[in-house]
Amino acid sequence: MKTDLLSAAGGGTAEISVNPATTPAATGAGDLAAPLYIAWQVTNECNLACLHCIEESGPGKAFRDELSRPQIFEFLNQAMDQQVPYLSFSGGEPTLHPLFFEMVEYVCARNAQLKIETNGHGLTLEHCLRLKSLGVKAVQVSLDGASRETFNRMRVRGDFDRALEGIRNLGTAGVPIEINYSPTLFNTHEIGRAVDLAYELGAGSFYTGRTMYTGNAVKTWHRLVPTEAQYEAFFEVLHAKSAEYRGRMRVHFHEMGLLEELRYRLHHPAALLIVLPNGLVKLINALPFVCGDLRTQSLEEIWAKFQCAWQDPRVAQFVEDLANDPARTSVLHQWVYL
Amino acid sequence: MDADRAMKLAKWVKFREEKFGGVLFETRSEKVFALNPTAAAIMREIGAGCDQAALVARLKERFSDRGETLERESLAFTANLKERGLLED
Repeated sequence: MKTDLLSAAGGGTAEISVNPATTPAATGAGDLAAPLYIAWQVTNECNLACLHCIEESGPGKAFRDELSRPQIFEFLNQAMDQQVPYLSFSGGEPTLHPLFFEMVEYVCARNAQLKIETNGHGLTLEHCLRLKSLGVKAVQVSLDGASRETFNRMRVRGDFDRALEGIRNLGTAGVPIEINYSPTLFNTHEIGRAVDLAYELGAGSFYTGRTMYTGNAVKTWHRLVPTEAQYEAFFEVLHAKSAEYRGRMRVHFHEMGLLEELRYRLHHPAALLIVLPNGLVKLINALPFVCGDLRTQSLEEIWAKFQCAWQDPRVAQFVEDLANDPARTSVLHQWVYL
Repeated sequence: MDADRAMKLAKWVKFREEKFGGVLFETRSEKVFALNPTAAAIMREIGAGCDQAALVARLKERFSDRGETLERESLAFTANLKERGLLED
């Protein structure tokens, strides 16, 4: 028996609808069978020791209990079976993970889209060609400055020219490029030039926002935090650059402060899981709450827990406490299990 | 519009079925689009390789149609998706 398409959909007017949302959050995480996006910090090991690193990554900083090979592929297999359409690998520095290319190959072969977030220092042409052939969606490189002086000051052990070389190798290989920029008191004045540089390097997207008071930034905050006047000028330039590059490169930036963002998320949780190197799953990067452990729970169980966990009164309380004490973000690495 | 050209999702767009219908996820801009059940049914047919003409025929097999409504609305829907860069010929 045929079903009437229109009445089945509940009315006599056009009922074939597509409703745009701004982020995965707006679909309502509670309605979805699985996450839309998994952001996985595959290792805490890093070759750099950046002043602002929110993960406290650095040389020798790999967690002792990072996921093993069987745990990694069990997790990825579950994500692929549940049709998670989009993943990102970050860190630490994800390209340092001994199974990095194997993991990339696995995800791309299962037809999910994958973004790599890297400092770009290991992006040889050979590696970039390999990423291209595997079909990664994009590689996002951190470039916090338009000059060697500012970049090297922020990225301890890092080298501006090496990062540029890595980005150029991506361009040569034909891998879509994205640039990420963290503002500080000594680089906000370079933002306009940095956006121009990103475009010259062939980037399709440029991302920035406010630097967070957590991780390494807690110790270096007095040397890092831009003044409000600097932020104002910074965002003014970004508005202009966004208009200038419209249709050629997307310039994304979050002017919203952390508190506003978290208050919004309390009611609109993103359909996004943050997975730590040891398999713990956080509600969101900017909160200390953990809602699951991939070593002992299935992705399906964790997704169900994630949706309830946002309603836990401790989460709302923490967010409201931030209004009185913004420095509470300094304890984001002291995980609270929900 | 070429009615016998197969349509496909744009390169950066993923479709997943959900209880409420489905979602389209444009991963370049990281935008999500929620689909109602009828829209999700159309996406399934497109995923199976349908062109516009075949899509209407397949829908008419499954759903009763009042006049040209199915054809008109499915055309409007796919045009909407193309305009948003989610679907291509």
